[in-house]
Formats: sequence, C-alpha cells, structure tokens
Amino acid sequence: MTRRPSATRRGWSVLLSLALVMTVSSPAFAYLKFGFQLDGKEFTLRWSRSPVMYFVSDVDVPGVSVSQFQGAVAVAFTTWESVPSASIAYTFGGFTRGLPGENDGRTTLGFMNAPELDRVLASTSYLVDGDTGELLESDIFFNSAFAWSTAQAGERGRWDVESIALHEIGHLSGLGHSAIGETELLSGGGRRVQSIGSVMFPIALGSGDISGRRLMPDDIAGISDLYPEAGFNDTTGSVSGRITKNGAGVFGAHIVAFDLRGGELVGNFSLGHDGQFSIAGLRPGPHALRIEPIDDADTDSFFDDTEPPDVNFRTTVFERLVIVPRGGDSGAVQIAVQPK
Amino acid sequence: MRHRVLSVAMLMCLLAAHVRATVLVPADLAELSRDAQIIARGQVVAIDARWSDGHRAIETVVTLEAERVLKGEVGRRVQFRVPGGVMGRYRNIVMGAPQFAVGQRVIVFLGASGPQVPFVLGFSQGVYRLGVTSSGDVLVSPPPIMPGVTGPIVRGAVTRQPAPLADFERSVRALAGDGR
Repeated sequence: MTRRPSATRRGWSVLLSLALVMTVSSPAFAYLKFGFQLDGKEFTLRWSRSPVMYFVSDVDVPGVSVSQFQGAVAVAFTTWESVPSASIAYTFGGFTRGLPGENDGRTTLGFMNAPELDRVLASTSYLVDGDTGELLESDIFFNSAFAWSTAQAGERGRWDVESIALHEIGHLSGLGHSAIGETELLSGGGRRVQSIGSVMFPIALGSGDISGRRLMPDDIAGISDLYPEAGFNDTTGSVSGRITKNGAGVFGAHIVAFDLRGGELVGNFSLGHDGQFSIAGLRPGPHALRIEPIDDADTDSFFDDTEPPDVNFRTTVFERLVIVPRGGDSGAVQIAVQPK
Repeated sequence: MRHRVLSVAMLMCLLAAHVRATVLVPADLAELSRDAQIIARGQVVAIDARWSDGHRAIETVVTLEAERVLKGEVGRRVQFRVPGGVMGRYRNIVMGAPQFAVGQRVIVFLGASGPQVPFVLGFSQGVYRLGVTSSGDVLVSPPPIMPGVTGPIVRGAVTRQPAPLADFERSVRALAGDGR
C-alpha cells in the first residue's frame, strides 16, 4: 500500500486554480477535538495535568518484544510532545501486568486479543470523572490478532507500531478523527488509502507502511488548539461561519481551510444542525475554503450521533478568499451549498 | 491488594464516559457480504447495556426485529453486541463504534466468535441505515462502496448517492453467494 501525501495538495492546487479563475471556490481538511455530553453539559476531553504518565503492558507478540513495543510508542509520544506550539508532555511510568481497558487509574498501552474487533488495529479508551469531566485515564489496546513490527524501515505484511501509536496517542490526548484523506477502490477488489492530510484519518494506510510516523499541519493545529503554548492563540487565528443548504443549516459538512502561502490544510466539521463551524489554529493570512460531504465513510467514525450527517450536497469551494487575522477570527462566513 | 480494589472501586464510581477511537482496516461491500455470517435487515426494538470483560467494560446488546434475512440462519429476532453503552451513571462511549436507537431501521453485517452474541463486522463499517424519502422510496446510507467500481472515491460526486433498498439487497445477496 502506498501513500501519496502530495495528492491532496495537487488536488487543492487544481481546485484553487479553478476557483481563482472562475471566482468560485476550493477544498479543505480537518481536525476534530473529542467532546462528549454529560447531563446536558459539554466537555472537551483533555488532560488537566502534564506530563501524562503512561505504562506499558508486559505482553509480547510474535515479532515485537515488550521492550521493542515500548521503544516504538515512546518515539510516538515524543513526536507529539515535540510540537513547539503545544504544551502537552508525557512520561513513561514503567511496565505493568495490567492490561489496557482496565479501570485502574493507570494509562496503559499494550497488546490484547479481541477477535470481535475484526478490522480494528488499535483502539483508545478514556476514563472520565462524570462530575467534573476530568480525564483520569486513557488506555490504548493494540489488536494482537494482527501481525506487528517495529522495524526501522517497516516490514512487509506487518503493521507499524509507531504509526498506529501516533494515531492513537492523538486520541489519548483528546483529538477525534480527521476526515482529511482520500481513498480509492482497487481493480482487484478492496479499498485503500490514497493520500492523507492527517495522522488522525481513521483508515489505516496499510501494513508495512511507515509514512504515518509524521504529524501533519492538521494534527499540529489540533494538538496546539487543545494545549496551546503561551502566545499560540495570539499568533494564530480562526475561521468561523455557517454552512447552509436551501436556507437551512447543514450538519456534518466537512470544511477545510487551505493556507495559500504555506499550503497547509486544516479542517473541521459543522457540528450542529444550525450549520455553524469553526477552525482554529490557523496561520494568519489568506485561506481558501472547501466544503464537502462525508459521503465516502461510515460516519460513525466521526460523529457520536445516531442521526446521520447531511451528505446530499455537492462539494463547494467558497467563492472568495478568507483572511485569517492574527489573534482573531475571520468573522462569520456564510457558505451555501447545493443539493446533488 | 485491598488498596488496589478500593482504588478500582473509587475510579469506577467516577466513571462517566469511557470512549474509544480506532484505526480501521477498510472493507468494501463484497468483503462484508462474504465475511458476514449473518446479514439482516430490520428495526431496532431493544438496546440493553451490560458489563463485559469481567466487569471491566460496558457493551450494548442490540435486538433487531428482522424484516428480512439476507444471509445466515436466524430467527425473527436477531441480537448483536457493540462496545460501549450506558449503565446507570456510567456511560461508555466508543468512538467509531456504531450507535443505535430504538425504532431505527438498519441492515447489519454480523460476525460471530464461538457461542457469544454476534458482533458487527468491521466495527462501524458493517452497518447501513435506512431512510425514507418524501416520495416513499427506501434508501440505504451511507452510499455503499460497491464492487466493480475502481479509482478514487470523490466526495460530493452526484454518483455518491444513497442506494435504493432493492438494488442494495440484490447486490448483497449476489455478493454473499449463499443468500436466500
């Protein structure tokens, strides 16, 4: 399986050219903070203390020893805490006989067998104080039903621990899934990822692939928005607005902001039925916006809602560029999309 | 040991939300149809959460009143389990896991492991939801990833539409091979 990160950017360039020529618009990608409701109150999952201490289960699998596993996840943790605009940090607490998923107050990563999760490579769980919304513990289970590797250059037919850990640690830190990614159908059957713009894209790149070891602008904007270093909010800006169709708000539209100067893609969703959206952590300057339906995915990967998002509209590139101010918001942008 | 038990108990009292997120291996309709032991269309009539894994986690058993069984040998009522659920004050949310509500009409692709209650294949990939248009047509969403089509999936394309129920079920039965 291959990954071509530049494909989305090429797609953007083409669309942007069309937008500029036709004064129509262009596309985008997204990070999503992980939130939930308790007793009618909205919570954003995030750690209130740093460094976050984690433990590693004392479980080997064929091809990966415990120490190799710990080494690979340590690199992934370091990748996240090395984001200069984010303040979160992690520390290794040691090995444990505990397993991920046990509500023991310890953040634990390790291998487990879960045959009922037949196509799930790994999964992150959270333990939250229901009264305060405080995140107490987060565990990551790696499905031992799959073949794994920690080889420096990857290993054909085996899933890369570091890449998958990087995605799951994003969840552990409070990020949801990103929809910045493209897939294709293969002539011999099956579906694969063609390109991604975020390690938080929910579909795996493929066994043997190690290109998911690197964070992308969407991931960096997300983690920085959750754990901003001093000055981050003063030096970046946001875009906000409303997506409508036939005059009514659109729930679940994917909005991607394309930075014209650096080419970064950062996105989010309209998360209410009023169609409101906001994308923070953007570099100040001109951005193009693309609005698209999530009509290529099982939407449960993105939304904790039994009511499905609206996918019956055409991809739209907003007809004008949006200027993101330093330390401020663009002001409400109104974007109308058309039904298919 | 006693200290550990108390700690666990204390933490369990604090538990309100237990959320999961995932990395998935993608599946298309052909794979789901082939690998499923049961494929059924029906209406959700009950949702019951319970403790699992030795009281370590919460899962939900969903009961479906079957309107049609496309594959497998099951009765009029089909049960399957999904991770997460609500147990009293404890809420276990599983991001990426399918969620259901009583009254919903769905088509589910189920796998089984031993004598346990079946599970949804491919996590959230094995669930299609039915909706009715203003003209009364029943459509299946999300738009299925149909076999025989190749190349990039383009979001927003007019061809990415929910499928008519009859067309969808005809395809599934053909792909499943042993459908009835």
